[in-house]
Amino acid sequence: MKVNLNLRGIVLILILMLCFALPYSSFAKGNPEDYIVQGLKVNDVPNDDGSGLVISWNPLPKERRVIEYRVYRGVSSDTLSYLTSSDSLFYIGKIDVNLKTGIAGDSVYFYDSGWLPFADLESPGRLKKEKGDHTQCLIFREFPRDIHINGPQLRDNYVVLGIAKERDFFYDAEKVEKRNEDGDIDIYSGLKMNQFETMYKILKRDKEYFYTVIAVDEARNYFPAAEPVSGIPRANSPEPPKALASVFVADLNRLQFEWKLPTETSSVYGYEVWMLDKGKTEEFVQFKEEQIILERDELLCKIDKDRTPLEAQYENPAFQIFRSETSVYTDVTQGIVDIVDGKITYDGNEYEVTPETLNNYHFIFAFEGARYRNWSPFSELDHYQSSELPQFHEIDDGVFFTVTDRAEDKGDYNTISWGKPVVTITNTSYLNDSRTQLLINYDYLTNKEYKVRNIYFVISDSVGNEITRINEFYLDGNLKVKFPEGANPEQTLSIDITFKCNKDLGNYYIRQDLVYKPFSRSMAPAKALYINGIDVSNYNYYIYKRNYYEEVFRLAKKFGATQREYNDNISHENNFSLLVGDFDAEKNLYLVNPEFRIYRSEGDTEIQRGAGINSNIWREEAEKQMANLQKDIDKYTVMADTIKADRQQSVLDYVSELQSQYDEMLQNPDPILEKAKSITDDKKRWKYLFSQRNASRRSYEYKLAITDGNGHFTFSDIYVNPDAKSLKEDNEAFTYFAGVGINHFYPVSNWFKWTMFPALIATLIFGSLVFIMIKKAQTSELYIRPIAGIQEIDNAIGRATEMGRPILFVPGLSGISDVATLAGLSILGRVAKKAAEYDTRILCPVRDYIVLPIAQEIIKEAHYEAGRPDSYDKNSAFFITTAQFAFVAGVNGIMLREKTATNFYMGMFWAEALIMTETGSGTGAIQIAGTDAVTQIPFFITTCDYTLIGEELYAASAYLAREPLMLGTLKGQDYMKLLIIIFIIIGTFLSTAHLTFLINAFPEK
Amino acid sequence: MKRQIPLIIVIGLGFIFVAHTFIPSRTSQDFYDWWVSWSKAISPFAVVLGILSLFMVHGTKIQRKAPNWQYSVVTLLAVFVTAFVGFVWGTDEGTPFLWLFKNVQMPMSATMFSLLAFYIASAAYKAFRAKSPQATVLLVAAFIVMLGQVPLGAAISRWIPEASQWILNVPNLAAKRGIATGVGLGATATSLKILLGIERTYLGSD
Repeated sequence: MKVNLNLRGIVLILILMLCFALPYSSFAKGNPEDYIVQGLKVNDVPNDDGSGLVISWNPLPKERRVIEYRVYRGVSSDTLSYLTSSDSLFYIGKIDVNLKTGIAGDSVYFYDSGWLPFADLESPGRLKKEKGDHTQCLIFREFPRDIHINGPQLRDNYVVLGIAKERDFFYDAEKVEKRNEDGDIDIYSGLKMNQFETMYKILKRDKEYFYTVIAVDEARNYFPAAEPVSGIPRANSPEPPKALASVFVADLNRLQFEWKLPTETSSVYGYEVWMLDKGKTEEFVQFKEEQIILERDELLCKIDKDRTPLEAQYENPAFQIFRSETSVYTDVTQGIVDIVDGKITYDGNEYEVTPETLNNYHFIFAFEGARYRNWSPFSELDHYQSSELPQFHEIDDGVFFTVTDRAEDKGDYNTISWGKPVVTITNTSYLNDSRTQLLINYDYLTNKEYKVRNIYFVISDSVGNEITRINEFYLDGNLKVKFPEGANPEQTLSIDITFKCNKDLGNYYIRQDLVYKPFSRSMAPAKALYINGIDVSNYNYYIYKRNYYEEVFRLAKKFGATQREYNDNISHENNFSLLVGDFDAEKNLYLVNPEFRIYRSEGDTEIQRGAGINSNIWREEAEKQMANLQKDIDKYTVMADTIKADRQQSVLDYVSELQSQYDEMLQNPDPILEKAKSITDDKKRWKYLFSQRNASRRSYEYKLAITDGNGHFTFSDIYVNPDAKSLKEDNEAFTYFAGVGINHFYPVSNWFKWTMFPALIATLIFGSLVFIMIKKAQTSELYIRPIAGIQEIDNAIGRATEMGRPILFVPGLSGISDVATLAGLSILGRVAKKAAEYDTRILCPVRDYIVLPIAQEIIKEAHYEAGRPDSYDKNSAFFITTAQFAFVAGVNGIMLREKTATNFYMGMFWAEALIMTETGSGTGAIQIAGTDAVTQIPFFITTCDYTLIGEELYAASAYLAREPLMLGTLKGQDYMKLLIIIFIIIGTFLSTAHLTFLINAFPEK
Repeated sequence: MKRQIPLIIVIGLGFIFVAHTFIPSRTSQDFYDWWVSWSKAISPFAVVLGILSLFMVHGTKIQRKAPNWQYSVVTLLAVFVTAFVGFVWGTDEGTPFLWLFKNVQMPMSATMFSLLAFYIASAAYKAFRAKSPQATVLLVAAFIVMLGQVPLGAAISRWIPEASQWILNVPNLAAKRGIATGVGLGATATSLKILLGIERTYLGSD
């Protein structure tokens, strides 16, 4: 290993330089023409709302070693106009290619749809041209942060959504006035780029976009761009729905429907159910076909402005009986229509039906689009009784589920609990070759209402003879079953399960079978799970929720039949989603609407709410709300007279809605807005409005559904707390939300984690023991058992001194946050002091650069304390590398070159431990190690002369210091250990006697 | 004051973070998140210190033409070249930086790691020499456990895998848990010593 010859050193350096130069040997660039992407196409994304395009091209052959295709988008094809940045193509995303597998298929697809990143603080500061030679067009990297570049883009070419923090939107926005096309002054809130978390964009409907693609090979050569091609995103009708499940519940006189959600949700505005007289089927088919033709014709008219649009010939012979609004989140999938007095009433129309005549109708489900619907196949009605539908198990008398604020959190979860405990068999395995013993694994799920104490299993054979009864008092998830002599191990077993809980479960039992599978030669749990004799394995629970802010209930979560509890996350609102429609380049501000919603007034129906109650960041604008509303009414009334006839009705409907909103606000002024008006200080006003918005958004009401997915479902009522107490008395924020605490649930932040209470008690006991022992150590001598490894430290340092060789001290590979590293550094202080006294050199290689200055300071101080500042070498503690095995190589090199006489390894170690200590052992050094890493202790014991095992590492510092304060801590630690041992022994005895209260008193984590 | 101010910061913040363990409130969580984000700011400064240390140690060696100073040239050259290619061409897939990482550093690390297999064999030989009754027990236990892990063990006797599992689940696990309990208490005691200002070696003096 000794390399002293200069020639060898130079050769080594040359070899290394060759290594560094090697990358370039494989970076030879191919012929650029061969790398131009072929077959570039842009198509509209089908069934969307007109905000998506899909770009496709033919992948280059695998041997081209292309690692990514980079996609660029712009708004002009005129190469002569590529003089300004707004007409150029910008990078929008890439498709990575696996070099080994290449691209499967004939085409590569890139979807430019949905909300994709636009620009944020991480975007480049200025416009940067893309690498490579691109003669076809001017190509840039991402949109930069420069408002002069991205401002016109967001105003003219995209719909941009900015995500801003509440504080920035409420308190730090700047008021901006801007004159609009009509000459009026519009008021905006102006925010800087750094006030947005990020900005997303979608394409504008009916606008032409241009795309090109660049191939990049593994050497990161950017090849020429393909000829740009264009596409226009168009709004389409929604995708065709899958089959509707329709059920008539005879005793309730109710129609129930269940459907599947669409894949592409952007174009769906509502879920509808229609009834069609079976005699008019042919008519409906013609209507449907005509709708498709009309949609195509509408698109052609957009392309060819001179084309005369087709007139509709057919009317829809079906009539609508149900509609549900969509949600921006996950939607509902069930609907109910009640038949009252033999009539179905919808939207003011009444349709007479009887249970018998219902069979004369087809039921059709439709996704409602902006202009056109798409229809499901015809659905036939199933007739059921309510008792045949899936039923909830009461969690309490007449209560199917409960909603509570989750304990011990920061106020961001509501807990929804339903049903009674359930056990499922998850797996089995034979315990011996003769298959007379079977290990059964089970899982149990419960909720906060039911604490399971014991589970009783009765296992019977295929003819019903009882094999064994097992009382599981410790719920470890395992059962051992011994078959009677001569029993067939391949027969079906039946397992009946009952519980003992904190509350009486009444008549409640579960059954699941174990079926022998010849293929796997094992007993497998049957899919069917019977609760009180009913197979529930196909059932699902749907949890729906809605706050004061939303219009419709939305799906919070869907669960299988065995789930019993759900913690619903209600995050503390930190961000606002704001449409960024304009910019002010002079002030460097992006302009957003200063209006914000506080809540929605209650609607007439369960799923439909009234108008949104809005306010404005700027007081004077908020006060103009009525005047603005009147202005809008006037504006749209005029518009209704001038636009095309087919749009006139919808504008008039909107005018009517605005008018009723105006009248309502005039007659019943909103109390929140009125109070905000009375607050003169702007910041207090913002704070008040924000607290109201927060109360509205974070207060949720819940309802539960149980369904088999085929229209057989039961809905619970909205949960109302039986101990109803409105929170409005406790908190001013809820003054106008009377339901909070009763049927709306607002999670509250908690101040103590009670599951940590035993840990707190244990810490206090430990602290007291330490205090007592320190006091005792100050007055009398304490006995500390000798630890050989620590006692030998002095001798080891002495040996190094005698041999005139350095000491090596490795303070572990962990960071400073690891207590083992702190313990190691404490020992380093003692060792360095001794080494300084003996004038012996100490070497301390460090892996973590935060540990480095601490180690340096410790060694420096040790030399000063020893009265030998002159012998301190600032390079005693030095950094090698953060790479684990490179560090080992460095340490091993030091051992071999410096011939260290004594090696200390104190701290946290991983796989590298043995490599270091074996090398040290080979050099003949005396080695002392100490670690709390259980997996490395055997290696240290084998290869080192002395090893501090686990806690001895922590004791070493105190042992060496021999101060009362240190020794008292050590002794306190021993007494605490004694206490733990006593608890373990008592716990063992109690558990053996089926008494588990002591075990259960301690939290599992 | 040089010692007292850091000590006050450590003790004050130490107790705050102990309290944080028991307080789940939003205020406590937000404070913790805010503090963690600030503490991350320390790392870049420490990186500079680490690199400076590297240059000082190896620079001194080269300057003094210390024995084997050529290794120091190699080290510094590697640092310079890697940093240079990283800054110039970036660190993405296909860059020289990643090429060096995949074709130089990773194979060398893998080489060091693979040496472990030989070291384990050597360590096992040392450990299993039946020099004393304890070492004999160790040897027998290891023999059973190793046999229990391979099909040959089950072929010899069905009891061998069970005995192997028993050794792992009972005496081995009991010992591991004993060590873990001690480590837990030791770590708590060390933390307590630091919190109460009893242990101050990390500040550069005791």
